[in-house]
Amino acid sequence: MIKFNEVTKVYENITALRKVSFSIEKGEFTFVTGPSGAGKSTLLKLIYLAEKPDEGSISIAGWETLSLKEKAIPFVRRNIGIVFQDFKLLPNKNVYDNIAIALRIRGVKESEIKSRVHEALKLVNLRHKTESFPSALSGGEQQRVTIARAIVGEPTVLIADEPTGNLDVDNTAGIMRIFREINAKGTTIIFATHNMELVKNTGLRVLKLDNGNLVRDERA
Amino acid sequence: MYSLRLALKSLWHDRWINLLSVITIATGLFILGVVVFSLYNVEKIASHMPERFTINVFLSNKATDRDIKGLIKYLKRSPIVKDYRYISKEDALKELRRSLKDAAYILEGIDENPLFPSVVVRIKSSEFDKNKVMELIDRIKGMSRVDDVIYAARLFESIEKLSRGFRLLGLGIILLFSLSVVFVSYSTVKILFYRRNEEIEIYKLLGATKGFIRSPFIIEGSVLGALGGCLASAAIFGFVFILKGYNNPVPFLAYLKLPMPFVAVLPVVGLALGAAGSTIALGRLKYQDA
Repeated sequence: MIKFNEVTKVYENITALRKVSFSIEKGEFTFVTGPSGAGKSTLLKLIYLAEKPDEGSISIAGWETLSLKEKAIPFVRRNIGIVFQDFKLLPNKNVYDNIAIALRIRGVKESEIKSRVHEALKLVNLRHKTESFPSALSGGEQQRVTIARAIVGEPTVLIADEPTGNLDVDNTAGIMRIFREINAKGTTIIFATHNMELVKNTGLRVLKLDNGNLVRDERA
Repeated sequence: MYSLRLALKSLWHDRWINLLSVITIATGLFILGVVVFSLYNVEKIASHMPERFTINVFLSNKATDRDIKGLIKYLKRSPIVKDYRYISKEDALKELRRSLKDAAYILEGIDENPLFPSVVVRIKSSEFDKNKVMELIDRIKGMSRVDDVIYAARLFESIEKLSRGFRLLGLGIILLFSLSVVFVSYSTVKILFYRRNEEIEIYKLLGATKGFIRSPFIIEGSVLGALGGCLASAAIFGFVFILKGYNNPVPFLAYLKLPMPFVAVLPVVGLALGAAGSTIALGRLKYQDA
């Protein structure tokens, strides 16, 4: 599904990732852990094609990212749902429109959008907040909207960059439950976090980065 | 459809700033329209000038009927000749006497008619082209028993220069104001683009194509341009109406004509210039950092 082969990424003389190799199978739930600056975000950016590797190769669902033409990038991204720590919601649009935009981009009909958005909102338990604007939502609720937006397009991979970083314990547990549910439906999940408590005793795969090196690849 | 909705929403949201842009675009297009209006009328006036242009073909005294018929046959066939008039040497003398009036005594004592038979040729206004006229003159000069061909070379040159000068000046002004309209829509959309930069980044991450991202901005720029064009058309109508109202002190103003197809097409010109400005403002969208 996702394969990194000796991938190196350097930002102005700082090596963010150094010869990192791993592969993730379809339907797998993988944590990417490590302290701040370890290279977690860089690794995710390389997966959703926001960055190009300086060395090595990456393949996503059989696509070699280096040989991918720029105009193909949006179509590859539609297969990747992204959840950010800072939510990246559109402040001038309500919850419904924030989720619907992911489908409008794909050219889905409005009638179909309606049912799919409500389905996604049901999964994150936010059907009662359809008309609310992001500023009126709590951090946990905003993150659930982001998750709904990421999954409404039915991506094969869901990437989450510190999705619980700004949330309290209860909200974190709720978000984790949603991710496990999504994964149970067959979606591959790559979940970056520095919170080792979250990873502990899950029995899921953990890729640990430190200073740009992949130092551990094992089950929690 | 979604792009159109988004564009209209944004136009309404920033309606006061957009109104200013529309007025600025309209001002540019209005000036452009006035220039086209002036050029159109100058061209029309210039197009009547060739009617005063004549070519005098002086024939030799030895010219036979056959020579004269040959010349007239050629003039009849020429597509640029409007009309011609043959003046025999006798008629020429009569005309001279008439024009000298009281001084006609100068001609007394002259036994022999010193004048030459001639043909006065006029050119069709629609066919008034320097090369065509020169070709005709050269052909006539080469005909047998044609002594001389005299034409108003300076009038000829000035018609040419006036038309060319006005056209050049007009084109320059049109280009300048077209650029200014492009610049206004460019800066309006550029500001909008910067303000929505975060939103655009989110769209990119969600898998939006460049077309999806660009289209609301281009629609917005085009609508601003088209509205500016409509306003400019109305202003030109008003301008010409007022101008023609000064009929009494300056009578020729009543004869000025507004080129209607141009006024009708001005909103489309605005739309095209607005779309061009927006497209330039959006520049190259990048999905990846190096």
